[in-house]
Amino acid sequence: MIDIGERALAEDQLAALLELMHQHGVRPESLASTARESRVSARAAGLAARPLARAPESEDRSEAAFAWRTVRSGQVIRHHGHVTVLGDVNAGGEIIAGGNVLVWGRLRGTVHAGALGDRKAVICALELAPTQLRIADLIARAPEGGAGRFPEVAFVENDQIGVEPWETYRK
Amino acid sequence: MSRVITITSGKGGVGKTTTTANLGTSLAMQGAKVAVVDADIGLRNLDVVMGLENRIVYDLVDVIEGRCRLPQALIKDKHFPDLCLLPAAQTRDKDAVSKDDMIALSNQLRAEFDYVLFDSPAGIESGFRNAIAGADEVVIVTTPEVSAVRDADRIIGLCEAFEKGHPRLILNRLKPRMVSRGEMMSVEDVLQILAIDLLGVVPDDEAIVTATNRGEVAVLDRGSLAGRAFIDIARRIGGEQVPFMALEEQAGVIDRFFGMFGRRPRGSER
Repeated sequence: MIDIGERALAEDQLAALLELMHQHGVRPESLASTARESRVSARAAGLAARPLARAPESEDRSEAAFAWRTVRSGQVIRHHGHVTVLGDVNAGGEIIAGGNVLVWGRLRGTVHAGALGDRKAVICALELAPTQLRIADLIARAPEGGAGRFPEVAFVENDQIGVEPWETYRK
Repeated sequence: MSRVITITSGKGGVGKTTTTANLGTSLAMQGAKVAVVDADIGLRNLDVVMGLENRIVYDLVDVIEGRCRLPQALIKDKHFPDLCLLPAAQTRDKDAVSKDDMIALSNQLRAEFDYVLFDSPAGIESGFRNAIAGADEVVIVTTPEVSAVRDADRIIGLCEAFEKGHPRLILNRLKPRMVSRGEMMSVEDVLQILAIDLLGVVPDDEAIVTATNRGEVAVLDRGSLAGRAFIDIARRIGGEQVPFMALEEQAGVIDRFFGMFGRRPRGSER
């Protein structure tokens, strides 16, 4: 059985998923989802479909996660949506987000925005002095010499992660 | 109301044991009944620093395993009868005790003393977890070096996870002249990263090394700047408002003054 939670899969998406599973020798017989569209797709693909009463409790299903604290060395914030931290992210701390990451403080740790493949994701911080930045499949080290003491934004441009002061980026 | 305080750091060699010995002695000087406990089982040190090594008969593991009663294992300090040491076992390792053992031990000590100071081992494993198990408060010791500060940050995160309240910071071995030359992290730099309350700053002081090697503590040496810093910290632990020493300014003035005569007072920066 495949449990896809509340994702809505169209027929062609499910077909692609099944194709991939078949390649790895996995042949599911049924699919469970809270989304009706996914169940319709499943029946069309010849799978038994059953509704899923509720989303798994442990997972935060909201669009954005919010943390009002210092993210310290060894601590990780992992969220499928956007992440906002009101506080510093220290070196050795890590944020992994499906969406954008906003740090209202000093960013010295490692951040992965758009971790599910979204190259349009951005990372911004009041002081951007990260150990490493990742957006989607791209990785960048911080430039030597440290950050300016002003808000900056990191984003993907020409297949590279670039950084610009917020004041010029917003225009 | 007795207080159980664990002194820890993450990184080794930043001065946990020296801090425990000096704070324990300072608190006893102020009239409190104090027990210092060496929780670094297998790497016994606190007894050496306090010059009590040759008086050990029983140790912490003997108490926990019931081979002796607690008062039999407690060693009275050479100078202050109200200061006692509970030494670590040297022939065993961290697995000889459990968290519950340590909590029970803290409670037993709490009944007899005003302050119980646990000297934690380095690291984040069971030895550290055991050392903070019974603590009401945690004091983090770090030096102004990036690796020590990084480890302190990790430890603060773990203390939060174990719900040990807000740890307070002792910044050890600061060299004010290096800071003023911009070659060492300043107090502000460290506080900006760790974002916790500062309990005190201890200047780097050669007198600590000589005192330790003799099995004496620096707080008994009136000329030692580090000793004075530890006394101030102990007063702050006791709840007094003690202003911070103006280390950077002091070093500057003293250097300039004595620089003219080509010598320097004892206990100041090299």
